[in-house]
Amino acid sequence: MDDVELRLQLERAHADCFGWAMACCGRHRDDAEEVLQTVYLTVLDGRARYDGRSSFRTWLFGVIRRTAASERRKTWLRGLLLKREADGLEPEALAAPDAEVERDSRRYSLGNALAQLAPRQHEVLQLVFYHEMTVDEAAAVMGVSVGSARTHYARGKARLAALLGDAREL
Amino acid sequence: MMDESEIRSGFARLRDADRERAPSFGQTYGRARGRKSWRATPRVRPLVFGAMAAAAIATIWLAQTRSLSPSAATPAIATWRAPTDVLLRTPGSELLSEMPALGTSILDEMIPVPSNRGT
Repeated sequence: MDDVELRLQLERAHADCFGWAMACCGRHRDDAEEVLQTVYLTVLDGRARYDGRSSFRTWLFGVIRRTAASERRKTWLRGLLLKREADGLEPEALAAPDAEVERDSRRYSLGNALAQLAPRQHEVLQLVFYHEMTVDEAAAVMGVSVGSARTHYARGKARLAALLGDAREL
Repeated sequence: MMDESEIRSGFARLRDADRERAPSFGQTYGRARGRKSWRATPRVRPLVFGAMAAAAIATIWLAQTRSLSPSAATPAIATWRAPTDVLLRTPGSELLSEMPALGTSILDEMIPVPSNRGT
């Protein structure tokens, strides 16, 4: 695959990749965009090569997932360093009342329910329902066996339905 | 409990919302290119690492050669004396610094021997 075709493929998958990057970054838009930038550079510089063993999208999603995990580790380390510096600062002021109301209204949204799932359950449901992949494809992206992916899918779906159902009853 | 179709429609709404606020490919790619030009490119990076390694090796080599060459200010080990050497000089130590001669007494040197009057 030459550079022009690679760029075309990336452009075609971009919207889908953004959604997946959002899921991998805890739905933080800036983080998701930064991860995508890193992925595009990695792919176009040839540091990650598509070998044709799976579909281009499945492979690209795997690269996004690994990059996001690596960024999370870096952020965690930076957070540790910042926490040491911030320990001596004044405690954070209480949130404004309207912000609390807004937070309450979002509490039982789909995004919030997904955040309460185990990471693997969240990933497999996102890949199947949002990106309309099969469980086999989701397993390839996540780097787990199909059996394991099926277990995460079944447990995750049941828990998500319960969480959303409980939220509706409230 | 919700059924699967409701979960599916929830995800579809989330997908539509994400698509609305997603940056275009051109924007993301342009920013990525900007980051790339700001950072060292992979072709330049080996040269930078090579230069840094050469500088580190040169520094270590210089430090080693300096430590091996005797400096004018540093005395040789054969001539060096500890400042506390005087403390080891005990009274009468000169008696022990020479080999004793057998058949003689140290008193002979201290007390003058009277000359033989008969001769």
